[in-house]
Amino acid sequence: MRYGGDNRSRLLLVTLIVTSLFLITLDLRGVSVMSGARNAAQTVLAPIERVASSAFSPVGNFFSDISHLGRTRSKIKSLEDENALLRNQIIANQNLASQVEQLKSVLDLAGTAGFKVINAKVISQGSSASFTQTILIDAGSNMNLKRDMTVICGQGLVGVVKAVYPDSSLVMLVSDPAFKVGVRIAGTQQIGILSGQGTNTAVLQLLDSQSSVKSGDVLLARGSQGDRPFVPGVPVGEVSILLESSSAVSQIAEVKLFADLNSLGVVAVVTKAPAADPRDALVPARHMPIPVPTVTVFVTPSPSPSK
Amino acid sequence: MLTRRISLSSLVFLAVFVLQESLFNQVRLPLGGFSLYLIFTLSWAALSTPELGAAIGFGAGALLDLSPTSDGPIGQWMLVLIIVGFAIAFLRYGDDSLRGNPLSLVFLVAAAMVVTLTIYLCVGAILGLELGTSFELAKTVLGNGLWTLAVAPFVLPIVSRLHRMIFDSKENL
Repeated sequence: MRYGGDNRSRLLLVTLIVTSLFLITLDLRGVSVMSGARNAAQTVLAPIERVASSAFSPVGNFFSDISHLGRTRSKIKSLEDENALLRNQIIANQNLASQVEQLKSVLDLAGTAGFKVINAKVISQGSSASFTQTILIDAGSNMNLKRDMTVICGQGLVGVVKAVYPDSSLVMLVSDPAFKVGVRIAGTQQIGILSGQGTNTAVLQLLDSQSSVKSGDVLLARGSQGDRPFVPGVPVGEVSILLESSSAVSQIAEVKLFADLNSLGVVAVVTKAPAADPRDALVPARHMPIPVPTVTVFVTPSPSPSK
Repeated sequence: MLTRRISLSSLVFLAVFVLQESLFNQVRLPLGGFSLYLIFTLSWAALSTPELGAAIGFGAGALLDLSPTSDGPIGQWMLVLIIVGFAIAFLRYGDDSLRGNPLSLVFLVAAAMVVTLTIYLCVGAILGLELGTSFELAKTVLGNGLWTLAVAPFVLPIVSRLHRMIFDSKENL
């Protein structure tokens, strides 16, 4: 049976396609009904997602472990002998412990900088079929979150709040291809722009062609006017590879991000930055520039050389 | 009869959508993972006539556009799924060797998944959205196709059974 396609079905197809093009145009022009629809859908979905997240996050962690099988194989082997109940308990406990650990480290960071923060749990890791890098957190406009607030974890910058719903918010991660943040190098204070690449590394472009950068340099967020979207001084990453390019006007380097974006459990949203810029106070301890001692050796020639 | 079919199918899609949003989005699989909702939509459309395939794409796309994790403007998934829903139903309807052969249907759905994501990217590029590096995009698109190949054999029998229950048609695997 071969399908011919009569006028009626052609009309239907054209009508449907025109409707969708109509909606795209409306949304791109910023008609508020459109964003309202997405808002309403999220309000309905957020409680379900939260329940599923609490029941499912040990399993989710398990799957992300599978993708790093080489590292966790020995751990899996040692667990194999234990019975299923015990294993479940251990996974649940580990999950809680890691969340507490993450919460502690993010509070440490916020405390050092004097940020006022709201803690939030990650309830969804973004869509698997979409190409942006986002997470959904369980705090929203009910907790006074607003668009363009900085989101941090214990290691450093995670991203920026992109959309706020009543009980949840969508956070665009640093690794998103559309993400750009002004940074400065701790110590030398040179400035540049960091762009996400969709992976755990980002690309730094220095603004001044004369300035030089070396691998191991720590990058801090430069801060925006009114502290939104970026509060100053948040650690972002460290320079890993210098990309030599004779054609480029300014220097370009690859940057390894501090935050491990694949295993985010607890994050904090900065609601208020301190009056004073924390400067280099947030550079991770092991990266603090160590002063190199200068050794001077005085040698006095003996007045009477031995014969 | 028609209202009953439409409302029952919408309920099924809504359930799969909630499942996808609340459970499957939590899992980070290597190579980008898969979308159960898209697999479900494509195979459902593949079991229908072309007009119905386009209508299914329209409804499923509208729902997916409402998902807070979709990045494009509302209507982008709708447009893509109308085209792919029509095309996959058209292909399967017209080709007798494809009908009644479950394995070829699996490959058809996987290929349709790659096409769907590619069209989605192209529409995004036309609308001027920021996309990642071409290597990352290709990895996600092909990874999704491979995952679909692996997952579809388990999903298709359920889809076909549900479809038969609701439409009581002679279409089956």
